[in-house]
Amino acid sequence: MKKLLPVFLLPLFTLCAQVTPERLNNAQSEPNNWLTYWGDYSAIRHRNLKQITSDNVQNLRLDWIYQTGETGAFETMPLVVDGVMYITAPKGIAIALDAKSGRQLWQYKHSFPPDRKLSGVNRGMAIAGDRLFMVTPDSNVVALEAKTGRLIWQVEMAPYKAGTHYGSLAPLVIHDKVLVGISGGEQGVRGFIDAYDAATGKRAWRFWTVPLKGEPGGDTWMGDSAMRGGGPAWMTGTYDPKLNLTYWGVGNPGPDLFGEVRKGDNLYSCSLVALDPDTGKLKWHFQFTPHDLHDWDAEETPMLLDIEWRGKPRKVVMQANRNAFFYILDRETGEFLTGRPFARQTWAKGLDDKGRPQLLPGATPTAEGVRVCPGLAGATNWMAPSYNPDTRLFYFAVREQCDVFYAEPPVYTAGKAYWGSVFRGATDEKEWGLLKAYEPLTGKTAWEFRYQKAPWAGTLSTAGNLIFAGDEDGYLMAFNAQTGKNLWKMNTGARLVTSPMTYEIAGRQYVTMPSGGALLTFALPH
Amino acid sequence: MKIAFLALFALSCLAQNEQDISSGKALFRSNCAFCHGLTAAGGRGPSLISPRLVHNTNDADLTAIIKNGIAGTTMPSFESLQADDVEHLIHYIRTLAGSEVKSAIITGDPAHGQQVYASSGCANCHRIGNQGSVYGPELSRIGAARSVDYLKQSIIEPNADIPTEYEGVTAVLKDGAKVKGVRVNEDTFSVQIRKPDQTFALFDKAELKQIVPETQSLMPAYKRLPAKDLNDLIGYLETLRGGVSAGKDADKAKGIH
Repeated sequence: MKKLLPVFLLPLFTLCAQVTPERLNNAQSEPNNWLTYWGDYSAIRHRNLKQITSDNVQNLRLDWIYQTGETGAFETMPLVVDGVMYITAPKGIAIALDAKSGRQLWQYKHSFPPDRKLSGVNRGMAIAGDRLFMVTPDSNVVALEAKTGRLIWQVEMAPYKAGTHYGSLAPLVIHDKVLVGISGGEQGVRGFIDAYDAATGKRAWRFWTVPLKGEPGGDTWMGDSAMRGGGPAWMTGTYDPKLNLTYWGVGNPGPDLFGEVRKGDNLYSCSLVALDPDTGKLKWHFQFTPHDLHDWDAEETPMLLDIEWRGKPRKVVMQANRNAFFYILDRETGEFLTGRPFARQTWAKGLDDKGRPQLLPGATPTAEGVRVCPGLAGATNWMAPSYNPDTRLFYFAVREQCDVFYAEPPVYTAGKAYWGSVFRGATDEKEWGLLKAYEPLTGKTAWEFRYQKAPWAGTLSTAGNLIFAGDEDGYLMAFNAQTGKNLWKMNTGARLVTSPMTYEIAGRQYVTMPSGGALLTFALPH
Repeated sequence: MKIAFLALFALSCLAQNEQDISSGKALFRSNCAFCHGLTAAGGRGPSLISPRLVHNTNDADLTAIIKNGIAGTTMPSFESLQADDVEHLIHYIRTLAGSEVKSAIITGDPAHGQQVYASSGCANCHRIGNQGSVYGPELSRIGAARSVDYLKQSIIEPNADIPTEYEGVTAVLKDGAKVKGVRVNEDTFSVQIRKPDQTFALFDKAELKQIVPETQSLMPAYKRLPAKDLNDLIGYLETLRGGVSAGKDADKAKGIH
C-alpha cells in the first residue's frame, strides 16, 4: 500500500532529497535526475530527454563552469537530485552545487592523517535517503549528509599502507547497503567487494574476488599466489532489482605481466561476478580472460538489457571487454550466449562454445618483449558505453593501439608496484580511436567515427537522437545516433577522462562534462 | 667461528650485490634500453658507457636525472621508480663502465666538419645556438644527446628513425593546393603545420580535401657525402654539447649539475 503525501508537503519532500529504494529502482522514469553513477541501475545510459535534439544541437553552448581548483584526473560522474548536483574531485573532496547555476552549496574535504598521500582519482558518489557515500584515496568509505556535507560515519575498507590498497570508485547503494570495491590491482593486494550498512557504516559482508586454497576456485592459483593475486573491483557494479543480483567486473591478476608464479586460471580475475546484494553470496561467474597476462581486466561496464534472443525474450548482461571481444551473457545464469571481436586483436583465434578464448601463440610477454594488440589499456576500458533502445545500437569508445609487453620475474615488496616488468607502445604505427555504433546481436558496425588518438571518455545517449562523446584531444562532441553525423563539437582544452551526463531542471536540459579541473555544463540558449 | 661468520656475511653481501645488479639490469632493459640501447652503447639516447657525458655522474646527480628527466631533452622522468630501484639501476650502469661494448670511435676533424655543415646546407633546416632554421631539430647539444652511430645513420638514412615531433604531413586543400611541412600537432578536427619558411599553417580538417602523412623523413638522405666529409661532420656534431642555457638552469634548479 502506497502512502500518499499531502500536497502541501511535496515541496518540502523535494528539498530533503529523499532518495528512496523505489526511486533508485525506477531511476529511468526520472530522466530529469541522475540518481546513480550510471544514471540508473542498468547502466544503459540512455535518457528520455529531448529538448536538445539532432535538429538543434548545433546551438548548444556553454552555460556555466565550476572550477574545482584541483589538479589530477577529474573522473567524476555527477549525481543530480532534485536540482542539486553532487560531484567529487581528486584528494577526497565532495562538492554540492546548484545544478542550474553551478553555484557551490557546500564542500567536504576528507581529513587525511599527516602520513598519507593525498593524490588519487575519484569517480563519484552514491545517494540514498538523505545521505551521500564516497570512497577516499586512503581506502575509507564516508557517509555525508546531503544537505550540508557533514560527515556522518567513516569506515576503513582496508588498513592504510602507502602503495597498497586505495579507493576510487563511486559506491552503489542497494536496499540498505552501500556496495564498494577496492583498488590496487598493480600493488599486490587481494581484491574484494564490500557492503556496509548505510545507517551505521558497519560492514555487512565481504566477497573476496580472489579465493584462497580450500575455497571454491582456490585451486586456480599456484602456491600462495592468491594472497597477492590482485583482482580488485575498481568500478561500480550494476543491479537487477527483479532478480536481486548485482554484477561486478573483477580486475586483472597480479603480477600483471608475469604469469609463471600464478599458473592456473586465477579466478575470479578478469571475470564478471553476480552476487546477492543482501548476503554477498556468489550466484555465478564468467571469466573473460583466464590467466590474463596483459592487464585486460573486466572493469568495463556490465550493461543490463532485456532483449529478444533467438526469438525469445532474454535478460542479458553485455560487456565490451578490454580484451577486444564483445560478450552477451544470460544474467540469470551466467550462460555464455555470444562473443565476437570488435577491434583488432592478435591474441585469440576466437572463443569456444563456452566463451573461453582459444589462444594464439606469441602473445605471452617475454624478456625481449612481444607485440600484442590490443595494448595494455585494452580495446576499450572503464569509460561508459550507452545503448539507445530506438536504434538498438550500443555506442562505445574503441582504442586501436598495440603494445610491446615485457616480462621479468618480480620480487614482491609490500607497498611497491607488482607488475612483473613493463609495457611500451608499439612504435611501428600510431594509435587511433573510434566511436563505434554497434549492433550487439549481429556484431555489425552501423557506423563509426574516427578519433585522432585512442580515447578515455565514454558516451551518453538521449531521446533527442543524439550521442554525446569525448576524445583525447578534449573535444566534447554530439552525433546523430542513427547516421553518425557529427553535429556539434567544442574543444574543452583538456583530455576528457570520464563520460558526459545529462539532466533537466525547470524545463531546461543540460549536458555536463568534466574537463581538466573544471566542470562544464552546456544548454541551449534561453 | 667469528671469521667464518664474517666470511658468510661478506658472501651474503656479495650475493646481495649481484642480485641488485641483476635487478638493475632487468630495470635497464625494460625502462632504458629503448633509447640507450640494449648494451647501453646508445641509440636515440646517448651512450652511457662513453666517458664523455654532459652531466656529472655522481649518484645524487644520476638519481636526480632518472627521477626528474632532463629539461630540453627527450630524457623523460621516471618518477614512479622506487628509491631502491633507482639504486639498483645506478649500480648496474656503474658496472657498464668497463664493459666490452664500445660505441664507434670518433676520428673526424671537427673544423673541417663545420665547413661540411655549412656547405651542405644543414643550417637551412637546423639550428645551432642562434644560427639556422627551426624547421628541423635543433642541434645545439646533439653531440651529448645522440650516439655517434645514431648521428651517422640519421645523416645517410634519415628514414631509419623519425622523431614523432618532426613527422612530415601534406595538407591538400579543396582547390588542390598543397602545404607540406612538419606536423606540429594534429587532433580529431584540425592539423597545425610548420612550413620550411618557419611559419605556421593551421587548418580545420573540414576545409581540406585530404591529409597525407609523409612516410619519408623531411630530411634528404646525404648518401653521397664523401666518407671523409661524413666522418668530419660527425666529428663536428660530436662537439656540440651545450648552449641550451635555459635547460641547464632548469637542470640546476632540479639539482642536476
